[in-house]
Amino acid sequence: MKQICLIVNGARHEFVIGPERVLLDLLRDDLGLTGTKQSCDRKGQCGACMVIVNGRTALSCLTKVHSLDNAQVTTVEGLGTPENPHLIQQAFVLAGAIQCGYCTPGMIMATKALLDEIPDPSVDQIKKALTRNLCRCTGYKKIIEAVQLAGSFIRRETTPDAMYPKSSDGVMGVSHPRPSALAKACGTAHFTADIRLKDALELAVLRSAVPHARIVSIDVSAAEKMPGVAGVLTASDIKGTNILKYLVADRPVLCKDRVRYIGDPILILAADTQAQADAALATVIVKLEPLPVMSCPEDSLRDDAIKIHDDFPNLCFEQPQIKGNAEEALKNSAAVIEAQFNTQINHQAPLEPEATVAYWEEQEEGEDAKLVIVGRSINIHFHLGMLQSALGWENMSYREAYSGGQFGIKIDVISEGIAGAAALHFKRSVRYIPSLTESMLMSSKRHAFKMDVKLGADAQGNLTAYCNDYLVDKGAYYSIGHVVVNRSLLMLSGSYNIPNVNARARMVYTNNPWGSAARGAGPPQVNFALECAMDMLADKIGMDPFEFRLKNSLQPGQSKSTGRIVQQWCLPELMEAMRPHYERAVQEVKAHRQGRIKRGVGLGTGAFGIGGPGDVSVAAVELDIDGGISVYAAAADPGEGNDSMLSQLTAAFMGIPLEKVRLYTRDTDNTAASGPAAGSRITYMIGGALINALEQLKTAMQETGARTSEELETAGKSKRFLGSKKNEDAGPLDTQTGQGPSFESQVHAVQMVELEVDTESGQVSILKMTTTVDAGQVINPQNLTGQLEGGMDMGVGFALREEYIAGKTRDWVSFKFPTIRNSFEMETIVRETPRPKGPLGATGVGEMCMVPTAPAVINAIKNATGIWICDLPATPEKVKAALNPEK
Amino acid sequence: MDAHSGDHQADHGPCVRVMDSRKILFDGEGFLNDFDDWSETVFETLAKERGLTQITDQHLRVVRFMREYYAYHGRAPMNRQLKEGTGLSVMALEKVFPDGLKHGARRLSGLPNPKTCN
Repeated sequence: MKQICLIVNGARHEFVIGPERVLLDLLRDDLGLTGTKQSCDRKGQCGACMVIVNGRTALSCLTKVHSLDNAQVTTVEGLGTPENPHLIQQAFVLAGAIQCGYCTPGMIMATKALLDEIPDPSVDQIKKALTRNLCRCTGYKKIIEAVQLAGSFIRRETTPDAMYPKSSDGVMGVSHPRPSALAKACGTAHFTADIRLKDALELAVLRSAVPHARIVSIDVSAAEKMPGVAGVLTASDIKGTNILKYLVADRPVLCKDRVRYIGDPILILAADTQAQADAALATVIVKLEPLPVMSCPEDSLRDDAIKIHDDFPNLCFEQPQIKGNAEEALKNSAAVIEAQFNTQINHQAPLEPEATVAYWEEQEEGEDAKLVIVGRSINIHFHLGMLQSALGWENMSYREAYSGGQFGIKIDVISEGIAGAAALHFKRSVRYIPSLTESMLMSSKRHAFKMDVKLGADAQGNLTAYCNDYLVDKGAYYSIGHVVVNRSLLMLSGSYNIPNVNARARMVYTNNPWGSAARGAGPPQVNFALECAMDMLADKIGMDPFEFRLKNSLQPGQSKSTGRIVQQWCLPELMEAMRPHYERAVQEVKAHRQGRIKRGVGLGTGAFGIGGPGDVSVAAVELDIDGGISVYAAAADPGEGNDSMLSQLTAAFMGIPLEKVRLYTRDTDNTAASGPAAGSRITYMIGGALINALEQLKTAMQETGARTSEELETAGKSKRFLGSKKNEDAGPLDTQTGQGPSFESQVHAVQMVELEVDTESGQVSILKMTTTVDAGQVINPQNLTGQLEGGMDMGVGFALREEYIAGKTRDWVSFKFPTIRNSFEMETIVRETPRPKGPLGATGVGEMCMVPTAPAVINAIKNATGIWICDLPATPEKVKAALNPEK
Repeated sequence: MDAHSGDHQADHGPCVRVMDSRKILFDGEGFLNDFDDWSETVFETLAKERGLTQITDQHLRVVRFMREYYAYHGRAPMNRQLKEGTGLSVMALEKVFPDGLKHGARRLSGLPNPKTCN
C-alpha cells in the first residue's frame, strides 16, 4: 500500500492504495465520478474512460494510481456542469455529436487535450487525437465536426449562443439540441453501472463454455465457503417459470439440465464485492456431458439430428411467399442470374456492456415489497411482464437508465432475469455488471442468412421474377424469431416492382448464439441478396445498374411481394437526386482502373417498412398547471433522439416552447405501454399516438378556452388524454402464400459507395458514401443525418469486417469495431415527401440507413475488380482469395 | 409443438377471429390487439369460451375498473391498483376469474398485451 495525493478536478484527495488500483476504479468507486465510463474490460480499446492527467490524455482503465502521486487529474465533470458547461461540451451538443452519449465523456476529454495543444486542428490531426476513442452511433462525422466547432469557440470565431436555434427559427425541421445531450456531455447522465446501491450484492454468473451439453452435476461447496459469498442460485431456486418467454417459451433464466450455446447461464453467485464473486465462481465445479453440436441449420435439419428443444422441432418456423408464377416467368425471361448469398452472425455492438441493478422499494404495510429493475430495456412494459412470470413476483417495476446504444440487442431481456432472480432469492439489492466478454456471450445476435437466389428480366430490362430460398440460423433460442422472418418477407422485393415472387424462409434452431433484433432485423440480409442480384442481372443484360434500378422502381398502384398495393413510393425522385453524384463518381473511377489500387462505384437502394401490420401504440399527455405539457409514453431513447422527437412534435403541434414539454418515458410506473423502441416505429407509431392525444387535448382547450390544467378541470374536462395510433391493415401473412397486410409507410434511400481495393492485400477502403433519403417531414435534421451516418458506418462494418464467432469474439479488437481511422466522407441529400398518416408528415429512419449499405459496398468491389464476394463480411482474405483463385 | 407453419400459425402469431359481427385481431396469447375492439359481446364470448357463463357484478366491476385504468394510463393495472380499485383481494379476484388476473381478468377486459414488435 502507498499513500497517494491526487488533485482531481481541482480538489485535493489523499488515498492509501494498493499497486493494482487503476484510476478508473478510483474515480468511479471512490469519488463517484461516474462520467468516466468503462466498456472494453480495461484493455484500453475504447477510450470511454479517457481523462486528462497532467495535461495529457490517459486511459484511466490502464493507469495505475500508484504512479500518480501529486498528479492533476481532470474528468468530464471537471470541465463543466449542465448549468455552466465548457465550450467543448456545448460544441458536442450543438454539433449533434451525442447520440447514446456513452463515448461522449472520453471523446470530450480527448478533444480538450487536442485543442489545448492545437487550437485549429486539421481533420487528420483530429482523427489522430481521437484514434483511441470508439463510437458506435455516429460514424464519427459529427464528432469530427464537434471538435472543429469547439475549436472555433475556443478561438472566439463564434460562440455557442450564436449557434443555438432561436425561438424565431420555429420547432419543426430545426436541430434543437436533444433534451438529454447536455447531461451526457457533462457526465451527469447515469447509465446502469453508474448507479450505486448501498450494500448491494455483486453477481457473477457461470456460463457454458461449450455449445451443447447435458448438465450432470454442480458442486458449489467450495464457493459457498469463500470470503464475502452470500450464496449461490441455480434454476431450482427460481420461483417462477424460469422461462423468459418472448414469443416462445424456450429460454431459461438459468439452465436446469441442458446448455444450448456458448454462454448459456447455469448459476449465479452473489458476494459482497465483484472480486469475491469472481474468485468464488472460479471454484465451482460443473460437470457437463457433451451432446452433438448443430453448428448450422443444415446440421439441425438432418434426419438424425437430435432436437435442441424437446418441445419444439429444430425447424421452428417456415413461411413461403408466392406471388404470381415465378418459375414460369423465369423460364420465359431473357436473362436470369442465380447466386448464393451468405450473411454472418453479428454482434450489434452497443458501446455500453450489458448491465442491470435491482433493489427493493418499501411498500405500505401488508403489501409485498416492490422489486425495482433498472436496466437497458427498450420495451419496459413487455419486459416487466416477462420478468414477473419468469421470476414469480408480481410487484415489480422496470426503470430504464440512460442506455449506451442498443441497435436491437435490447428487444429481449438479457441480464435482467439474472439480477431479478438474485434480488428475489437473497432479498437484497444486487448489481449485475458483467464484463464486455460476458455481455457478448449472453446477448442476442444478428441472424445469419443463407440465400439461394434467382432473378430474371425480360429483353427490355424489366424484372420478371424473383426466387429466394433461404435458411435463417435461429441459434439456441427463439426470441422474436418469426418476426425477423416475416419482416424479411414483407420487404423481400425491396424497392422494386417484381410481378412474380417465389420465396421460402426456414428458421432453424442451432447451437449458435441466439438471434434476435439487430438494426433492420431481416431486411438487411435479404436486401443484400436482392441488391447484389440486381447488379448481376444488370451486368448480364448490359444495362447500367443505375438505370436498371430506376426502370424497375415500384410505382404507386403496383404491389410489393406481399401483394399489397402501395399508394406512395419515393424511390424515383431519390434516384434522380442521386444521378449527378453517380455520374460524377463513374467518371472519376475511370482514372483508377489500372495498377494495384483500383476504384469502384456501387449502388444500393432500400425501402424500409414502418408501422407494421396491426401495430398499435398509445401515449398519454397531460396539461400542466403552468400550461406546459407532460408526455407519458414508454419511448426508450438509447441514442436515436426520441426525446427530441416527442418534444418537438409536442411543441410544434401545441405552439408552446420546447422547455415547457416534460417527458416521462423510462418507468413502467408512470408511462403508457407504447411498445418497443424497435422496427423504426417510435416516430411513426408513438409520435402518431402522441399527436392523437394532443389533438384531444387541443380540442378540449379550444372548447373551454382553458390554458392550464386548473382551468381545464374547472371547465369540467380532463387534463389528461390517451392517444393511439393504429395500422388498420392488420393480421398475419397467409401461411401458404405469404400474401397479406403490410406496413403503413416506407422510408426510402439510395446509397452510393466509392471505394478502392488494394488488389495485392485485398484491403478495401471506403472513400465516400452518398445517400439520398426520404423519411417524410424532417423533425430534427441533425438527428436524421446522425442516424444515416451511423447506419452507413455500421453497414460498412457489416459488409467488410464484423462477425461474431462464439468463443473467439471477445472484445472490441476481435470484433473489429469501427474506429475513427476507418471513418470516411459522407454526404446526405434529404427529400421530404410528407407521409399522409405520419405524425406531422414524418416517418422513421433508424434502420433503413444500413439496409442498402452492404450491397452497395459489394457492388462497388465488383465494379472495381470484377469479383463477387457473396459471403459477408468481405474481409481482405476473402477479397484476396477471389482475386487470385489459383493461389 | 409443430413447426410454425400451416395450421399451427396460431400457436405463435396473431390471428383474426370473427366476433360481435366483426373481424378482430388477437395476439398469439389470445389478447385483443387493440383496446378499442372490445365490446360487451366480445367479453361475453371470450368468457363463455373459458367456461364463465354466469357474469356477476363482481366481474363487471373488475372489467370496468380495468378498462378505465387502461383508458387513463395506457397500461394495465398492477395487483395493488386492482385491489384498490375494486375492493377485492387478489385471492377473491382469482376466484372470480379462474384463469387468473392476467389471462382471465385482463384478457377478458380487452386490455392488450404490451406490444412486442412486428
